[in-house]
Amino acid sequence: MTSPFAHVTESLIRHRGVLGAMVVGLDDGLIVDSTLQIGVNGNAFAALTASLYRKARRSAKAAGFGATTFLELAAEQGRVCTAGGRELVLVVVCESRVNVGLLRVELLRAAEQLP
Amino acid sequence: MANDDIRALSEELAADPTSLAFIPLGEALRRRGDLEVAMRVAMRGAERHPMRPDAHDLVARVSADRGELDRAISEWETVLQLAPSHGGARKGLGFVCFQLGRLEDAAAHLGAALAIDPDDGSLAAALQTVRHALDRQADADRATVAVRRVAATGESESAHPPRGAQYTEALATRPTIALPSDLQDPEADAGALFDDLLEGQRSAAMLLDADGLVLAGRYVAVDGRDLAADIGAQLSGVSDEASRAMRHLGLGAWRQIVFETEAASVAMAPLQEGVVLVAAARPIPLGFVRRVLERAVHRAIAWLEGSR
Repeated sequence: MTSPFAHVTESLIRHRGVLGAMVVGLDDGLIVDSTLQIGVNGNAFAALTASLYRKARRSAKAAGFGATTFLELAAEQGRVCTAGGRELVLVVVCESRVNVGLLRVELLRAAEQLP
Repeated sequence: MANDDIRALSEELAADPTSLAFIPLGEALRRRGDLEVAMRVAMRGAERHPMRPDAHDLVARVSADRGELDRAISEWETVLQLAPSHGGARKGLGFVCFQLGRLEDAAAHLGAALAIDPDDGSLAAALQTVRHALDRQADADRATVAVRRVAATGESESAHPPRGAQYTEALATRPTIALPSDLQDPEADAGALFDDLLEGQRSAAMLLDADGLVLAGRYVAVDGRDLAADIGAQLSGVSDEASRAMRHLGLGAWRQIVFETEAASVAMAPLQEGVVLVAAARPIPLGFVRRVLERAVHRAIAWLEGSR
């Protein structure tokens, strides 16, 4: 059975440098659907990125900046990008070399389909 | 700290109200920005454990975040009565005294804190800036004496308009944090450290220490108020969350966080134990915000090194 989000994750993982794409519950950090390359620990990325996104959302709201729509975490050995709605977020794990601008546009577009 | 951790600490405290779980719980709530709840937790803890310095330290930290500086001072003074070598209390008092314009007190407290923790780079930088501010204040005081002498000898002000204007300006100048002279315009203050990087855009940059306290930079609202302390306190927790996440993700240390909201784009990068943060109104392109962040990091590094 194919989930309604399969086409979203499959589309995102086609980008050069993307290692995994997931739809994740924002409140519980659990994977709803995912397309991952072998070796990517989807559960850890889902849980921790959802937690970071929640934190950013709360902080931005408290600072008077309104709702958060996109987050990118750049690290020494890769990036994680997140965009989302109220209940679900898209989490993409990628290499440092990924085209962040293009990925951001795709993520924001895809996130519009999430509840 | 994750919600689960906070929940676990809350449950632990509920099961045993005498538990010391209120300290990490209150601190986690403070960092998360839940200041009302954090204050309730801290106050109850301090009432139950009045002889514990860390309980009063927690009340002081939350009070400072809420802008209740008098209460923060009182609590940190209590901490020092209980534990005279408490570096956190000295540091907190130093920052609060500086905010209140009590520069000599600020220098004394920061100096004492640095003696306790000589490796804390943010303390060295803060002490240096306070000393610069004291120097400027001394210059202004000398100008005051000179003006009074001129008046006492009966010389009219109109006979020396340039000097009179200069003294008036000096007297009107509120003591500010001066920058290292080899780095920046010596007339600028720490609040203006990043101003020239922003190029008049609707944006702000700040350097925050590990506790989310503002070391340099500012965030000026439309009504002219400097909201840097509030914004910094709210957003610094994001970097804590990122650091925690990085321990489990195998991606190495985090280098940059960028997030977009309805009203703003925010970018932050780690620097020593603190963070450099840039926030810009939403119409400003994200790429520009990232560039400003990179330049702000270089500026902050030079400023911190120059302050040592």
